[in-house]
Amino acid sequence: MDILVLMKVVPDVVEELEVGSDGKSLDTGFLRTILNERDDHALEQALLLKDKHGGKVTLLTLDAPDIDDVLFTALAKGADRAVKICGAGSVSSTQMAARLFGETIAKTPGLLPVDLVLTGVSAIDDLDGLLAAPIAQKLGWPYAGVVTQATLADKTATVVKEFAGGVRGEYDVPTPAVLGIQAAEKPPRYVPVAKVRAAMKSQTIESVDAPAVEAAAGVEVQQMAKPRVTGHAEMLEGSADEVADKLCELLAKRGLL
Amino acid sequence: MDLDPVRISLMGLPGVAVLWALTLAAFGVFGFRAWQLIGLLLKARPENRFDQPGKRVLYFARHVLLQPRLFNERSIGLPHFLIFWGFVVYVVCFNWSLVRGLAPALPAPYPDEVGVAAFFLDVFSVAVIVSLGAAVVRRVFFPPAHLHLSWDANLILTLIGILMLTTLFGAGFRLVGEGKTWSGWTPFGSMAAAAFAKMPVESAHGWAKGMWWMHMVTVLFFLVYLPYSKHLHLLASPFNVFFGNLRPAGDLGIAGGSEEMAAGSTKWSEFTWKQLLSGFSCAECGRCDRACPAATAGFPLEPQQLVQKLKKHIIGAGLAKNGNGSPKLIGETITEDEIWACTTCMSCMERCAVLNEQLPIIIQLRRHLVTEGQMAKTVQDALNNFNRYGNSFGKSDRMRAKWTQPLGWKVKDARKEPVEYLWFVGDYASFDPRLEEITRKTANTFKAGGVDFGLLYEGERNAGNDVRRIGEEGLFEMLRDKNLQAMAKAKFKTIVTTDPHAFNTLKNEYKFEDDSVTVVHYTELLDQLVQEGKLQVARKVAGKVTYHDPCYLGRYNNIYEPARRVLKAVGAELVEMPRSFNRSYCCGAGGGRIWMEDVEGVKERPSESRVREAAALGVTTLVVACPKDSVMFQDALKTAGLEGKLAIKDVIDLVEEATRPS
Repeated sequence: MDILVLMKVVPDVVEELEVGSDGKSLDTGFLRTILNERDDHALEQALLLKDKHGGKVTLLTLDAPDIDDVLFTALAKGADRAVKICGAGSVSSTQMAARLFGETIAKTPGLLPVDLVLTGVSAIDDLDGLLAAPIAQKLGWPYAGVVTQATLADKTATVVKEFAGGVRGEYDVPTPAVLGIQAAEKPPRYVPVAKVRAAMKSQTIESVDAPAVEAAAGVEVQQMAKPRVTGHAEMLEGSADEVADKLCELLAKRGLL
Repeated sequence: MDLDPVRISLMGLPGVAVLWALTLAAFGVFGFRAWQLIGLLLKARPENRFDQPGKRVLYFARHVLLQPRLFNERSIGLPHFLIFWGFVVYVVCFNWSLVRGLAPALPAPYPDEVGVAAFFLDVFSVAVIVSLGAAVVRRVFFPPAHLHLSWDANLILTLIGILMLTTLFGAGFRLVGEGKTWSGWTPFGSMAAAAFAKMPVESAHGWAKGMWWMHMVTVLFFLVYLPYSKHLHLLASPFNVFFGNLRPAGDLGIAGGSEEMAAGSTKWSEFTWKQLLSGFSCAECGRCDRACPAATAGFPLEPQQLVQKLKKHIIGAGLAKNGNGSPKLIGETITEDEIWACTTCMSCMERCAVLNEQLPIIIQLRRHLVTEGQMAKTVQDALNNFNRYGNSFGKSDRMRAKWTQPLGWKVKDARKEPVEYLWFVGDYASFDPRLEEITRKTANTFKAGGVDFGLLYEGERNAGNDVRRIGEEGLFEMLRDKNLQAMAKAKFKTIVTTDPHAFNTLKNEYKFEDDSVTVVHYTELLDQLVQEGKLQVARKVAGKVTYHDPCYLGRYNNIYEPARRVLKAVGAELVEMPRSFNRSYCCGAGGGRIWMEDVEGVKERPSESRVREAAALGVTTLVVACPKDSVMFQDALKTAGLEGKLAIKDVIDLVEEATRPS
């Protein structure tokens, strides 16, 4: 049971985000990136399946600053092989990313066959979840998204999707298939720094050249801006009595008293 | 008249032959057991405890011969001291007696035939009997919590009693046999003789010899039984003390340790020999359990039990034919909850009478769990944050000095201009919104006191003290290296910090080259500024206050007085809590506990116990000198229902109030 995990990094929103000088993109000077959280879950789900069924877990990512740390961490957790797609520059459009992944999987010798391709169902820069389905289409495989559990049997993956109101759906998907992972069955595992360092010494990251893909037509960013302040909360300060007085005054002014 | 006890016939055999047989058998079993146990130590991992022999001899003399740690509990301190010295006297005389008995041709007397030796035997027999009485009364009527009330202990007390009585009465029968009623060398034996004064001389001879034989056989039995009992401590603990830790208690590094220690230990052979020796040395006295905040609060950890479980595992798994079949150390013998319950407050090690080192053992177990990725989600999140952002708050490192913005003046960047003091602010003081005001007061007070100081700004990372005590050694090294890199770019002479946790690891674990850097706690610096008159008290602060000694400042680094001097200097009336100085009670946040949830069954959180203790003194304020204490006790006030009745203030709150220019 071999699994391919697609991972990408997204802007880390812990850091202050700044709009770039073009007014249409993030200022990359200040930007720091972090592994997409749902991709981390996809990796965990792949590792859980590997723990259960054996097989190999291969990581495929788009090259980015700090991506090596992400890949070595994943290798330290138990992935077997890491490949990054180089030369595509900074890919900000999900459609482009989907094409790059799809072409690379289809054309790079040695990546296929696999039983499953797992990736995060969405990302903070891809709330619609437009990455996995086009890849499935390109490969001609079935796709299931928003998956929270997956088990593998011969030629079939059984996946669970969670819906609103506590409703769960269980689906049988013929493999090979592409799954968009919402959450792994367990929280992503911790890997100690020492193991990551050991992986850096003992393992290598392979590179493949980015395939030539057509520029994606479609949605174009017109403007990017920080939310404008339209109103603010007023804090009533002073002693309890003073606050009560001010409150009464306010309510009276609005005709509520 | 021949009183030589070996010149008799026992079941047709000469006494000497019987004594030889018993001696060989007893020493044979004893030797076999000792060889087995030492064999286990030799298979364990290395640790260099052979340095500084001179210092070790002094350390041994202090803690084995004088036993100050035993006296930390009054009821048993003196009794144990007397029993110990009685033991020493009796061991010497037993061996003397044994050699003389085995070799009747030797032209030497028995010890009880030599006045001085007889005198010591006589006096100590009574001193030890009285001490045994005290020990039994304590065990039966006033057993302290966590004292292990085993049959083992009772049997040993009985055996010691027999040894004393046989000596006492032996001396008595001897006097009767010699036709005397009194000897100044054996005053208590003489009293026994008086009781049997009318006994025929022949019978007295028989009884005297009988007492000698009973004494010797009991000792030989003791010799066999000892290494299988809790009194193994009697053999192991002197070595345990001699090979004790002479490095700072706050340094988790292992001298001469193997690299694989960083990945943790999950079976006996993965600990160092010294750690295994701790298991053999435990006397089951329960001092550690009684001092342990986790045990007291109802967490599933009792350090004594943990060490005993380790001992059981060492002997069980270590001596089993192939080690298979014996329960696993982690999971089956010691639970994960036990391992995580430790607050690393150092109370157990501070109290232990045999100078065991419980903490490094717990850390070894934690390291294994970390290597396996087995930890609470909250701890995992904290570690991930440390790894990525250098702080547990998961905030951007660029925000580290944001607290300086409302100051209205610029704090120097130590990486850009030389300063005398590098202020290592630490995570809580930098990021916790509840502490920002305290941190700013510290900055303003330093400035008012003319301190030339600067920060590392976003170059600072968490110092790694608690990360290391969680057991994430690789992450600790990473944080330390990043801090050292940032510090290498700065010019300073001294590091000052308000955080005792950071203070401990910077001072003891960073290993600045040639000790070129001094590390001080802010209470030390404030003390100095007040003493030198650089901080003038403009107005005295009124009121009764009490002071909480932070674990990592007090027990770890022996710094108790500066904060107290400062508090008195600013006019506060200082009242001590019952648990103060080295007996200070932990707030419960150390060793990563601050990122863990309480488990079920907790009776009273350590922090709540502590604020209640302070409130009971009738003071207005509980003064702290640790950012984590501020946070922990503020929370505890709410849960203990003491809000409004007790204030939690940092030392700097009082100092700033007293010295602020008007």
